[in-house]
Amino acid sequence: MSLTTGPAVPQAAVDKSPDSAGNSGRARRGRRSLSKHNLTGWLFSTPFLVLFGVFMLFPIVATLLMSFTDFGARNVTRPLEAEFVGLDNYTQLFQDDKFLKALFNTAYFVVVGVPATIVLGLLAAILLNNGIDRARTLFRVGFYAPVVTTIVAVAVVWRFVLDPSDGLIASLASEVGLTAPDFLGSETWAMPSLITMAVWRNLGTVMVLCIAGLQAIPAEVREAARLDGAGAWQELRGITVPLLRPTLLYATVITTIGYLNVFEEPFVMTQGGPSDSTLTVSLDMYREGFNFFHMGYASAMAYVLFVVIMGITVLQLRLLKDNTR
Amino acid sequence: MNRAVATGSIALTLASALTLTACGGSGGAGVAADAKQTLTVWAMGTEGEKLGDVAKEYEKAHSNIKVKITPIGWDVAHQKLVAAAAAGKLPDVMQMGGSYLGEFADMGVLEPVDTKTFREGDFFPAAWQQGSYDGKTYGVPWYVDTRVLFYRTDLAAKAGIKKAPATMAELRSAAEAYQNKADTKWGLSIQPGGLDTVQSFYQFLYSAGGAIIDDNGKAVVNSDAAVKALENYGSYFDKGLSEKSVRPGYDVTKDFNSGAVPMFFGGPWITNLLDENYPDIKGKWAVAPVPADEASVSMAGGSSLAVSADSDHKAAAKELVSYLTGAKGQADWFERTNDLPANTAAWKTGELATDPTMQVWRKQMDTARATPSQPKLTEITSKVDTAIESVTQGKSSAKAALDKAQSEIESLVQ
Repeated sequence: MSLTTGPAVPQAAVDKSPDSAGNSGRARRGRRSLSKHNLTGWLFSTPFLVLFGVFMLFPIVATLLMSFTDFGARNVTRPLEAEFVGLDNYTQLFQDDKFLKALFNTAYFVVVGVPATIVLGLLAAILLNNGIDRARTLFRVGFYAPVVTTIVAVAVVWRFVLDPSDGLIASLASEVGLTAPDFLGSETWAMPSLITMAVWRNLGTVMVLCIAGLQAIPAEVREAARLDGAGAWQELRGITVPLLRPTLLYATVITTIGYLNVFEEPFVMTQGGPSDSTLTVSLDMYREGFNFFHMGYASAMAYVLFVVIMGITVLQLRLLKDNTR
Repeated sequence: MNRAVATGSIALTLASALTLTACGGSGGAGVAADAKQTLTVWAMGTEGEKLGDVAKEYEKAHSNIKVKITPIGWDVAHQKLVAAAAAGKLPDVMQMGGSYLGEFADMGVLEPVDTKTFREGDFFPAAWQQGSYDGKTYGVPWYVDTRVLFYRTDLAAKAGIKKAPATMAELRSAAEAYQNKADTKWGLSIQPGGLDTVQSFYQFLYSAGGAIIDDNGKAVVNSDAAVKALENYGSYFDKGLSEKSVRPGYDVTKDFNSGAVPMFFGGPWITNLLDENYPDIKGKWAVAPVPADEASVSMAGGSSLAVSADSDHKAAAKELVSYLTGAKGQADWFERTNDLPANTAAWKTGELATDPTMQVWRKQMDTARATPSQPKLTEITSKVDTAIESVTQGKSSAKAALDKAQSEIESLVQ
């Protein structure tokens, strides 16, 4: 899972800046103006609209339709023979132990992974923004490098780190007379290992967002706080976090969405094992769809995941945004 | 992959499927074999890479034909073939993995093989069986693979093992001897769980006289023989003779080289891997047939060559397939890839006829057993994978695990 694909302007996404009023004003003026202007606008948007229609809208609608059928391998060449089964796929999903386990595993990933990513990302940002004076760029690049590294390379490195017989951690542990757990091979440790990996891969994104946010906090505010005798902890609680709230909200939302979709880590590291302990909803969906060709069933899964993501995102925006007022 | 991509790719398959109905089957008159034409061929992995050289030689002898090879990675092969089948864009000739054939034959996108040109008796029985589905043949066997026992002879001497284990009981005592007397970390490497664990289990299952699906297409995975085989398999983990930890992407040759693992079941490509990567242990290992239970039966794998039902170049495609699967073409192919020839006549010359190691493979292939072609084979074997894992991890008895798999598989077989 990579978070880099999200919209790149954090502040604008959540800020209630005067900008939004300006925008709507412009839009009104646009509507009143000559149709020639409209035409030019449409002309410029057409390539996007066509691509969006073909690659986004159509698949989304087709998937919804498919989720009400028993579309399988046979139907690839005879799609119209797929039978309409109503809500069967959906009711079956919630009786499917594997899917419920995947749902649980995904929730586990989000509940542990999101706070860890946000907190560590924020700390890295604060550290690099204030703490380290020398080689700051080097550290920033270092923290960000995992974000832009391909998952295959990441997997090679982490397999080496986690390998139970001659991996980095196992070797270090045996130096001091300890036995490292079998990280990827044990049902208890596999998930925490993958979460660690995901946090390592994604905290760079949060860090970059936070650095941008931190630099937007006026120095006078901090100075005023210090004059009033605030310590580091008070400054963090009273100044940094509240003023960074929009940024943190954005980072939390995209990280949550990313982790709800988590696919790559279990796919390359554990294939969902041992005993389905790292099977996530996306991985289960991929298997049902592309290994077993239960396309209808996989589509229903996609829609359940979609509804879950939408619900959680709306909830997060409500809860966290209201607090800022 | 994010959700949009997943949804997108699922739905795109449907989209292309819908387009197909519009263009319909082209069938009917094709291009004659001697006309000027381009044949498209898809092949996977090493085969895809090496086939280009063969194609060049083939073109020299057949000046009217241009052969266009597209190599595909095994990891994406299934998806690409399905998408192409849906779009009606399958190549003229394609490599078909043994586990795919049933699925594609069932979709109706493969041309039945002309059994007058390609004769069953020319190939290993298991190889021929893999190309068949529902009483008809859709793939001509191209190369075969099976598993035999690789073992360290130098460590065997230390452990006081005089000859390769010939029975399952001897395999067990050899594993113990290696561990106790030659100080190896494990006795035998077999996969504890995860994807395709069933490939490790086949040797035990088939040798005990069991099967997943019998020749009539009935699920029989909880038969007494299968239960006994899984109990035997699981006991290696109970007793610490085999590593219980599931390690995705585990490379057994590394541990074989270091001596941590003295025995494992491997396919023909392992020989090359060991020779190239670990020349230090050359001459310190050997291969032996699968230790017998009721009999010594290994799994049969490999690939067939199939012709697309929509192809306009069926005549030329048939000639190319004849060339590749004929005795001469097969012997040449073995030279290039070390893939074991599916055509038994190819085994009568050169290294294939004289090398004692090759004779082990040859003998194993004679009795090797293929899983019957089934459209849902991947799903069926995944149920067996789950059963095996629950036993090796000590969560279930062999009987209970296989009873569960049996009831799941019953609803998947056709």
